[in-house]
Amino acid sequence: MSAKTLPRIAFFEFTSCEGCQLTVVDTLQDHPELLNAVEIVQFREAMSERGDNYQIAFIEGSCTRPSDEAKLKEIRAKAQIVVALGACAHLGGVNAIRNRMALPEVREYVYGEKAAWFETYPARPIEAVIKVDASLPGCPIDRNEFAMAVTHLLQGRLPNLPDYPLCIECKLLENVCMYQRGKTCLGPITRAGCAAICPSYGDGCEGCRGLIPKPNWAAMKAVLREHGMTDAEIDSRLTMFLTYQTMQLEAKAAEG
Amino acid sequence: MSLRIMPKSLLKTWIKHLQSRHFKVVGPTERFGQYVFEEIHSADELVMDYPTSVLPPKKYLLPPRERLFTFNAKTMEMQPDIQAVPTVILGVHTCDMHAVAMLDKVNNTGYADQHYKARREATYLVSVECLTPCMEGSFCKSMGTLTVPENYDLHFTDLGSDYAVEVGSEKGAALLEGCSAFWEPSEADYARVDAVIGAKWQHFPYRLECDVTELPDLLALSQKSPLWDELGERCLACGMCTKVCPTCYCFDVTDEIDLNLEHGERIRQWDSCQIEKFAVVAGGHNFRSSRALRQRHRFMRKGKYQYEAFGLMGCVGCGRCAASCLVHITPVDTFNALHRLRQAAQNGSAAENTASNQEVQA
Repeated sequence: MSAKTLPRIAFFEFTSCEGCQLTVVDTLQDHPELLNAVEIVQFREAMSERGDNYQIAFIEGSCTRPSDEAKLKEIRAKAQIVVALGACAHLGGVNAIRNRMALPEVREYVYGEKAAWFETYPARPIEAVIKVDASLPGCPIDRNEFAMAVTHLLQGRLPNLPDYPLCIECKLLENVCMYQRGKTCLGPITRAGCAAICPSYGDGCEGCRGLIPKPNWAAMKAVLREHGMTDAEIDSRLTMFLTYQTMQLEAKAAEG
Repeated sequence: MSLRIMPKSLLKTWIKHLQSRHFKVVGPTERFGQYVFEEIHSADELVMDYPTSVLPPKKYLLPPRERLFTFNAKTMEMQPDIQAVPTVILGVHTCDMHAVAMLDKVNNTGYADQHYKARREATYLVSVECLTPCMEGSFCKSMGTLTVPENYDLHFTDLGSDYAVEVGSEKGAALLEGCSAFWEPSEADYARVDAVIGAKWQHFPYRLECDVTELPDLLALSQKSPLWDELGERCLACGMCTKVCPTCYCFDVTDEIDLNLEHGERIRQWDSCQIEKFAVVAGGHNFRSSRALRQRHRFMRKGKYQYEAFGLMGCVGCGRCAASCLVHITPVDTFNALHRLRQAAQNGSAAENTASNQEVQA
């Protein structure tokens, strides 16, 4: 295969820690053959060249200010396929925690007396602004899942990633259920695909991979209450990664 | 076939003997307060009187994830991948033995599953007599699975200082060959086995309020029961019940290929009828889009469909699903609730009949 026929891919970042792109660099160590399978034309985290002729755009980060929108739309217009890379792009991520707070206070807290210098608004997943073809969930993304997603794209299909609950993966590992250890866990409503890494190391799931397609919200809350959480604690638990999604569900419920 | 006696102190010797003959020896081991079937490296790791295991020993016959074949997408060549390591599974409870009987039927009906078959033939099942109830959710006595079915190679009964070892097959006899740990039983040994097994039954409660043979009909009459909606409201659709079930065998098949799009493999993994996508077909229609329908399907399989298709109950009463369910959906409660609803309906219609008869007479 000559280099010219390789799919051209580019990486972009919005509001994020760039940890997902770092995981991509990491993936290249496990799967060096990736470099022979694609042509990377833009990847600020790893190289200086900046090409604008790309077919697949991987976007990390959430949309947090008005000026992000034009950039996102520009990428969308150039790319044939747009992939949201990681929890911020996919869900709004931890940036969306502030969506439940008063924005002026948040700006004041973060930027102090320079608050007025910075434009900012509630954080949103990029799908709220542009059409997204596929999302790689997680905070950060899973390196094996990234390689798998690229393989699927090379095959000319959209990545087929698990959207069943984490409990399935966790149970197959024969982990002790967090609830049996006197802890709580969002596994029953969170998408699998991370090899249940948090429960495997003794921590309950925080939901970084987002909700399964039809979570049983009421039953999940009942379980959390049964295991000693107050409503305020439940809300705060759902805030880490799921603020945007829960607020959307609440809005939907309010509409009736 | 025949009985042998093994002093417990010689279990170690026997396990070493099996390992020296290149058997992979697996059995229940303790992990963070739970018990899991794992490869045994020394007899100290083995816990023969374990309550229950997280996953049933089914995982050695039907692995959660297995490669069916490899292929080359450029040359279009494929190579089946059928692996069978001679494996001795120690300490299998009687309920799980009934489950294996079920898996054997399913996998050998019609076109036999070659992967399962090869693994099953290389597997030696050493069951153990359950002498006390293992946990709250189990109901083996009600399901008729508290005695071992005849598919064991060896069956152990704990006699205190010794194990009584019933040899059930040629394969079982082969496991004893060349090992001096097994002794001929005396008359007194037979009496000891009878006494231990005879004494155990009183410790196990009947937990179903109807007879196990009534379940298929009960479920047939409960297709439209309001109970399914109730379960659907509660169910998290987390799928844990199906992962821990010793008789669930539904799977999904996917192809995975390397980044050069050349070398690939076809993978089979356990699936779950409780997850959203399970019954989605081409075109996007979902035949069981609600949790209520999926729970109903699950219990129909366990108490009716499997029995009709294979003559064996799809539920063996192990209680694993009950123990793992965070919203307390259990087979015992479900079957009993359906039974009570049915009885109430019958009593209601009987009362109506009596009333209308009285009216006619008046």
